[in-house]
Amino acid sequence: MPPKSSSTGKEKLIDEEVLQAIILADSFNKRFRPLTARRPRCLLPICNAPLLDWTFESLALAGVQEIFVICRSFAEQVRVAIKESRWSKPGSGIKIVPILTAKETFSPGDAMRDIYTRGLVTSDFVLVMGDLVSNIRIDEVVRVHKERRKTNKDAIMTMVVKESGAQHRTKARGDSSIFVLDAETSECLHYEPIMGYPQTKVAHIPREVFAEHPEIEVRNDLIDCSIDVCSVEVPSLFQDNFDYLDIRKDFVHGVLTSDLLMKNIHCYVAKEGYAARVKDTKSYDSVSKDILSRWTFPLVPDDNHPGGHIYEHIRGNKYIAKDNSVLLARTCKVGNNTLIGSSTQIHENTQVTASVIGRNCIIGPGTIIRDAYIFDGTEIGSYCVIERSIIGSGAKIKDNSRVQRGSLIGDGVIVGPSVTLGPFERLSKKRDTMDENESDGEDVDSDLEEVEANQDSYPNVLGEQSNALVWPKGPPVDNDEEDELANYNNERFMRIGDDASDLDFSDIGSMTSDSESDTEDDSSDLDVRHKSLTAPSDTSLPLEIPSTGVPMAETEFRMEVTQSLERAFAEGHSVDNAAVELKTLRMASNVPLTRVREAVVAGIVERIRIVEGGGIPQRKEIASVIGRWGELIDKIGGIDPVETISALQTHCALSLRMPLFGQILAALYQDDIVEEDHIRKWYALSTSRGEGNKPLAESENIKKCWSIVAHMIKQFDEQESDDESEEDGLSPIDDKPAVVNKGQEDSASDDDESGDESNDENVGEPPSGLRSWSVEKGNEGVEKIGEPEDKNETAQSGKENKAETSKPPTMNIPVTLGDGTKPRVITEASQGVVSNKGDTKGEDDDDEDSEEGERMTRRHAIMPEVPNIRATSGLTTRASVPGATKTETEQQHLGISKQDNSTQDTNNVADPISGPLKSISSALPQDQALLSSWAKDDDQDEEDDDESDDDDNEGEDDEETDEEEDIEGSEESDDSTNAMLES
Amino acid sequence: MGPESLGGANQRSVDSLASKLRRRQVVGSRATALETLLVLRQVVSKARFSNIEQLVEIIRDVGRRLVEAQPKEHSVGNTVRKVLHHIREEYQTATRGTAAASTPQTFSIAKFVLQGQPRQHTLAPKSVESKGTLKENDPDDPDSFARGLKPVLMEAIQDVLDELETVYDNVSKNAKDHIHSDEIILTLGMSKTVEAFLKSAAHHRNYTVIVTETAPLYGGRELAKSLSGAGISTFLVPDSSMFAIMSRVNKVILGAHAILANGGMFATSGSLIAATAARAHSTPVVVCAGQFKLTPLWNLYHEYGALDFGDPSSVLGFEEGDLVDKVEVVNPYYDYVRPELIDGFITNDGDHPPSSIYRLLKETYDDEDNEL
Repeated sequence: MPPKSSSTGKEKLIDEEVLQAIILADSFNKRFRPLTARRPRCLLPICNAPLLDWTFESLALAGVQEIFVICRSFAEQVRVAIKESRWSKPGSGIKIVPILTAKETFSPGDAMRDIYTRGLVTSDFVLVMGDLVSNIRIDEVVRVHKERRKTNKDAIMTMVVKESGAQHRTKARGDSSIFVLDAETSECLHYEPIMGYPQTKVAHIPREVFAEHPEIEVRNDLIDCSIDVCSVEVPSLFQDNFDYLDIRKDFVHGVLTSDLLMKNIHCYVAKEGYAARVKDTKSYDSVSKDILSRWTFPLVPDDNHPGGHIYEHIRGNKYIAKDNSVLLARTCKVGNNTLIGSSTQIHENTQVTASVIGRNCIIGPGTIIRDAYIFDGTEIGSYCVIERSIIGSGAKIKDNSRVQRGSLIGDGVIVGPSVTLGPFERLSKKRDTMDENESDGEDVDSDLEEVEANQDSYPNVLGEQSNALVWPKGPPVDNDEEDELANYNNERFMRIGDDASDLDFSDIGSMTSDSESDTEDDSSDLDVRHKSLTAPSDTSLPLEIPSTGVPMAETEFRMEVTQSLERAFAEGHSVDNAAVELKTLRMASNVPLTRVREAVVAGIVERIRIVEGGGIPQRKEIASVIGRWGELIDKIGGIDPVETISALQTHCALSLRMPLFGQILAALYQDDIVEEDHIRKWYALSTSRGEGNKPLAESENIKKCWSIVAHMIKQFDEQESDDESEEDGLSPIDDKPAVVNKGQEDSASDDDESGDESNDENVGEPPSGLRSWSVEKGNEGVEKIGEPEDKNETAQSGKENKAETSKPPTMNIPVTLGDGTKPRVITEASQGVVSNKGDTKGEDDDDEDSEEGERMTRRHAIMPEVPNIRATSGLTTRASVPGATKTETEQQHLGISKQDNSTQDTNNVADPISGPLKSISSALPQDQALLSSWAKDDDQDEEDDDESDDDDNEGEDDEETDEEEDIEGSEESDDSTNAMLES
Repeated sequence: MGPESLGGANQRSVDSLASKLRRRQVVGSRATALETLLVLRQVVSKARFSNIEQLVEIIRDVGRRLVEAQPKEHSVGNTVRKVLHHIREEYQTATRGTAAASTPQTFSIAKFVLQGQPRQHTLAPKSVESKGTLKENDPDDPDSFARGLKPVLMEAIQDVLDELETVYDNVSKNAKDHIHSDEIILTLGMSKTVEAFLKSAAHHRNYTVIVTETAPLYGGRELAKSLSGAGISTFLVPDSSMFAIMSRVNKVILGAHAILANGGMFATSGSLIAATAARAHSTPVVVCAGQFKLTPLWNLYHEYGALDFGDPSSVLGFEEGDLVDKVEVVNPYYDYVRPELIDGFITNDGDHPPSSIYRLLKETYDDEDNEL
């Protein structure tokens, strides 16, 4: 990175500076195969001009003066093409420098690193892909960007996005994204890619976004044009983060989620103009159509054709080359939206509709061509039918052949005569010995060979004179991995002619709409909960299907943590350094703190060697490990000893080191990492006793642990001979707003039994820590979520509660999703439910019978997709159960009154759910106020304390809530526990 | 000859204007005419030539490239033709000025075919004449011809430039003769010429203007704002009410994009409706335009529209995703208004009926330049 001083010096000169652009001319994927077998994608013609020329023209329109073209595959071809194009002639006003990058550049990220090492850019530059068609005034974007940079040095990038509708032919369904923007500054606060298959259903928006910005827009109706105005820092950021591959998925996401970089990325929502990328065959189709219907004006064939051809525009958007060389038979029909290149002949009775035909083509008589793209020099025989396909240059389709939708026919392929190609056939030319030694195609050859090897499996159906190789259809055969299939299915959304209707969605998305209307209705409990946005630490939008990505990320994270711990252990890092590393990891993977804690505890426990013979040497070993590393547990970002014990228990239950549990706990106690109070508190938790349905072995172990602690506590009691034990096990009569409840108590006892039952059922299943964990948490979460409404009949304030919660603390979120419905914004708190919802369609009536409802929800909670465990994890750890001591209850009470208008303390601790919401909404009827108080409290977040250090202005609210709580408390005093109010 | 004879700087300026025209970064007939003229002036001042043919060829070449870059901006070609015409004229006066002047030029329709080209030879002989002879193709000093002729040429170009710059004033200088007190005038679009014309008339007359919005570009709104700002009583009405209102209108005043050889014109879309409605009500239609819009072309392609279609986005938003797929949007910039619908042209050089436009064309341009 250049020194700051020099860049500020340049700032003054910025207006006179040359505007630079970088084109990444490589696609880094193979979606156009086999058309791209012999030439790079950026030289594929679209409307008879190479894509690269369209890109140049787009940039020239914006006044760019210097362009670097980063090319990788077929770099030589690109270089020659640039040299021979009109852009290299004097007077073009643009200097184009091709940069041949190494073959090892496999991603845009690599290319960016290459740009950095070459030191190409000196000031803000425009970064585009080599397949851009645009008429957006990029210079305007650059101006806005520079303006912003003057005040905010951290605004490193401006992404250009184009508004489109919910559904638009140019907006790829398999490859769109969600942008969360600040409504005022259009700062991009969060970015998330959306897959077409498996359909992304939930987007996770960090709660900081809501806390820090009064008004945000969550948008899924934007076409990402891949036009980025970048500052010089951007390539260096790529250099620093060597794992960034994709500019969007890695870089943007990484920068936005990083707590360390503190950089901002903005969006420029283009209202006018057109911009789109030809990133797959489907968008090739739609961009061609957009060009022909003049959306790209003035970049249209008859006006400013980048290839320099001159076309005549005839009504109905027909473009015929103007040099009088086109031969149109008298009886041929040229339909609307058609482009015909020079010297092309179209014979009698031929119909050409919505197609592009290159130069020097010959279309035989009686042929029908619809929505097809035919490159230069192709011959098509008589009575052929070609639909929604792309046919490479120099190909020959012989008489009476039929090319069905979605086919891609490579350059020089000969097909026919009288051959019918099925849909989505891909053909390329067999290699002759002549061009075998082309150095350009090294990586291509491996693919080709594979295809060749598989030829035997295809019967020769391509006609006698055919020289074609058939490319395999369908997902890669030898690769049965889940994501390969998903990837393939996702790519189907990007194929020309493929509407992928068989992949279409179950209608889950539409369920989202009903939440808006019927909040008064008792049966819509789930919806009410969705709307009870309390502490949105992670907001999700229901899209289509829950993403399976989340658990994957977590396992990945787990591995990372284990590795980094191992490294730390092996190399003897200092505790502080290890903690920093873990923190960074957590930020990078965006996982809750609980996860880190678990992983750290697990790591430390595993670090302890099992000493043969046990006894004193074992204890010594434990003490030494805990003494060395124990501190780490508290340094990872938050201190929560109760959780630590839980984590320890959960881990030990599954580990060989089960017998060491007591000793380890003792060691932790010795090192003041946990204290007596914490042990007691933990001891009081229901989960500690192994309630909930878990695999047999584990739950037994958990019970064992619990009994060990019971023993320990007994010892404490003996030692101190306090009277605290009196309270132990009592259900404290608390005066909390409690929505809690008999149902829970019943179910608590129920839990044991049902847990056992299910244990029996699950005997065959291997106990998996993660899974059982999520079961447990999910269960808790759901229970708690379910509670408040369950109790509506008893709670006098139930109605009120409902009415109030029905008013959601709305944020201005104009989201339009695929189906055009506006989705709800759902807080993390309700996420467990969200993901369940799809499965529980029509089962919303669990409030009628809390027990049944619980069981039902529990069942769903078992679903591994419970997308966000973060919410519920916090709950679990601090949930109190019959047996909580009075002092704790009071503490919790304070906690509540604080949390009523706050989002709660430490990062990991999640949300007050519906229960507290009641008080929130009554205390703060104004949405705005609610938001602002979130914002405020979030600031306190980092101080991570459970103390209710009331601010002055919060005091008022607290009083109110206290009152309310009192009322409820008196009425429900027999309802002892109040787990849900915890958290 | 050809481009080689152009210096590097000339080449660049021509190219840059060509690409600006192509990218529609310079739009509007007057703006393009001005830009073209500036480039031509530079070309002429830097050009090296030893006889008039070479010079004409250079200018034609530049003109051809500019016209090819943007065939839809007719004033580019018009400007080139005009410059060529002036250059030839200057050349003639310079070489055998006395001889040419001596033949009396009483133009008559009867002799029109014989005479071929009506010329305005009433110009006073320029100072060059006194310098005596200009030698073409002088082998000793090939530049002497250029040296001798250039000052007059620059002067001629300057004349054209002056004409362009004063075109609004000249068009509107007789405005008070066309607009009478208490008249109701209907106009549309945002035409600078019409704006100047109406404002000038407002100094002398008290009248009312009705402006239609002129979708999809809504130039009418702009014009209405500007007129009411100048103290003219102005109404802005939707396009759809054009016909209904026409019965109360005394006169329709339109701007033009290009005046064609047959007396018709290309004008902002909406003009055809206005002209047709006016014809139905027998309301006079008057067109205000500078003479640089005179174009020696005919409209052969589209019956109603000019050959210039914009992008659909102003008609149908890009965000209307599903419609975009199903609807074909045609957004012509200009209507073609037939000569029968026009009652008169008010130009910077007098008022003309559509039927005499051909004659104006003959006077303004040389026949040989019609195809550049």
